Amino acid sequence: MEWLFVAPAVLGLLSFVLLPFVLAVVLSFTNLRLGSPLPTEFFGLTQYRRIFSDPAFVHALQNNVLFALIVVPLQTGLALILALLINQPLRGRVVFRTLFFMPVVFPLSLVAVVWVLLFAPGTNGTLNSVLDVLTLGHWQARDFLHDPHWALPAITLTSIWQGVGFQMVILLAALQAIPAQLYEAARVDGARHWQQLLYITLPQLRNALIFVVLVTTILAFRLFDQVQIMTQGGPQHATTTVMFEAVNTAFARQQVARGAAITVVFFIIVLLLTVLQRYVLRHEKVVE
Amino acid sequence: MSLTQLRRGLTPVLFLSMLLEAGCERPADKTATPNDAGPAVVITLQVWAHAGQAAERDVLKSQVAQFNRDADGITVALTFIPERDYNAQVQAAALANDLPDILEFDGPYLYNYIWQDHLIPLEPLIPFAVLDDVLPSIIAQGTFGPHLYALGVFDSGLGLYARRSALQAIKARIPVSAADAWSVDEFDTILVQLARRDSDHAVLDLKLNYRGEWFTYGFSPVLLSAGADLVERPDYQYSVGVLNSPAAVAAMQRLQDWIRQGRVDPNLDDAAFVTGRVALSWDGHWDYARYKQAWQDDLLVLPLPDFGHGSRTGQGSWVWAVTRQSQQAEAAASFLQFLLQPDQVLDMCAANSAVPGTRSALRRSSLYSENGPMHLFADQLLLGVSAPRPKTPAYPVITTAFQQAFQQIRNGASVKQSLDEAAQIIDQDLSDNQGYPFSTP
Repeated sequence: MEWLFVAPAVLGLLSFVLLPFVLAVVLSFTNLRLGSPLPTEFFGLTQYRRIFSDPAFVHALQNNVLFALIVVPLQTGLALILALLINQPLRGRVVFRTLFFMPVVFPLSLVAVVWVLLFAPGTNGTLNSVLDVLTLGHWQARDFLHDPHWALPAITLTSIWQGVGFQMVILLAALQAIPAQLYEAARVDGARHWQQLLYITLPQLRNALIFVVLVTTILAFRLFDQVQIMTQGGPQHATTTVMFEAVNTAFARQQVARGAAITVVFFIIVLLLTVLQRYVLRHEKVVE
Repeated sequence: MSLTQLRRGLTPVLFLSMLLEAGCERPADKTATPNDAGPAVVITLQVWAHAGQAAERDVLKSQVAQFNRDADGITVALTFIPERDYNAQVQAAALANDLPDILEFDGPYLYNYIWQDHLIPLEPLIPFAVLDDVLPSIIAQGTFGPHLYALGVFDSGLGLYARRSALQAIKARIPVSAADAWSVDEFDTILVQLARRDSDHAVLDLKLNYRGEWFTYGFSPVLLSAGADLVERPDYQYSVGVLNSPAAVAAMQRLQDWIRQGRVDPNLDDAAFVTGRVALSWDGHWDYARYKQAWQDDLLVLPLPDFGHGSRTGQGSWVWAVTRQSQQAEAAASFLQFLLQPDQVLDMCAANSAVPGTRSALRRSSLYSENGPMHLFADQLLLGVSAPRPKTPAYPVITTAFQQAFQQIRNGASVKQSLDEAAQIIDQDLSDNQGYPFSTP
């Protein structure tokens, strides 16, 4: 009888998650094209062979890994610092909390459009002039979004700016759950601030940090909006990502089967990575 | 908050949401409602149009209102779809067999839908007198195989806008027709001389801020002018050797050199020409009104430079076609005929400064007739200086590949490599689709 209650949700999951997933795997072995009246044929492993010999896809994989490697520690670290700062009993910290969280509320496409203007090339561009002032005139104006070396850092900056508030709020909640007696006991024992941070705060935050790192990693692999709006795959594939390649292949190049193959490969990679991460950062269970 | 307070607060919200729900348009109100009591059967035509400039939308809305008033028994239900996603939305609707009776297509995307058998020929539906009046470039664009599938109300024009005063200051020759256009070397010299007098040395606006189709529309004429092309014509069976031919590489290299030398304004605010930051703007008819307002009599409309095989330019714009699914093809055709009436054509062209699509309207146009300021664009269309973009169902892939190559070229990548890559992508698609075989149904 209980299964009747779960049935609607399970039905939804099956039809909207499992079915497309199975279809994607099946289609990746065909040559289905979007809107083509020609019959679909079995294509074997040709799609997979093609995508791995495509320099754009290989570059996209590299970009995704690089992006995750940079963003996860940076964004988590920054979120932790901000959460620690906001946890202080300062006047007006609610204002700061709101300000730091606001970028999360904006849609990513809006953020991307605004940052395109901030990255404007030439000495009049916002970021260029700010850096010019900060380096006392030694900064040479660059076209960030069209320079193969600066495009991915530019996108990384935009993503971190937008996402750090979310992680900060999670870590802040976890910080506030740490019992005050621990700190009192440490102070009695003569521990200084950085010792308290290292031996009390971080271990207590372990579960929250693991969650934040996992979520950030998965979100980092989903990088698409900023690329689509700001660089469209970037100067010579410098900012293309797997999601961008998949969408582009399926809808702009009308190769649905090839797009499906890309997503299958992507799924396997992300699955392996999350399993690895779970294994390395074993979740600490609460001992009652 | 007590329960009573909560209930009191929710009631207006619920009421409002009910109103909104009722007021929301139901999208699938289709076809005739057979009325056995009364005589008149009201046919509702589903019409989709792209949401272009505000002026274009307003004109279309008032045209639809006028048609609804005048036509007996036909009511047009117009839906606007955002331009940026227009092709994607129509493609999705086509796959779901959910197309309206009559809708617009961006010119070169038309052939893919014809190939997928979504559209019907127009010859049996439109009288010959009307077809005869339409510009040959529009007939050429709408024809695929032996039949005509689509008609446009207007055609497009592409050229160089310039400021007369800036050119006179460097004593440059001012071309009067496409046959007279600057050679690319002459153009180079003009850029250098203009740059000397310009504070940021950026004197050319290539609309690099635009997205998507602009790059193929605006710059594939460069390939034609250099003796190359996007894909082999007239069979459209291969692109390697055509798109990455030495002539094409040399021509795109010129463009890259202009960008690399800093002569091109990034134009993020789309106002480089209007504010006077640049003296030249490689642009289409749609900006004429804005430019005229800024520069009045100082504005010149010039042909694109000649890269060796004569100055060439682009053509093609939005066209109307009737779908195979439509149960009211004749009513749809009568709406199309209404849009092609000279008054209606001129109304639309007054809004978007496009080239009127019929000869009778062209004669009466103040902008495009013999002595009008934009007659160059009309001449280019009528004299064959303009060339249609490749008329093949492979067009979506061709344009995506070329746009990608252009982006790489403008970012400083190797021109040869970028064009090689694009040509290979196109050839791969052509072979995957067996050359897009088309047999008349």
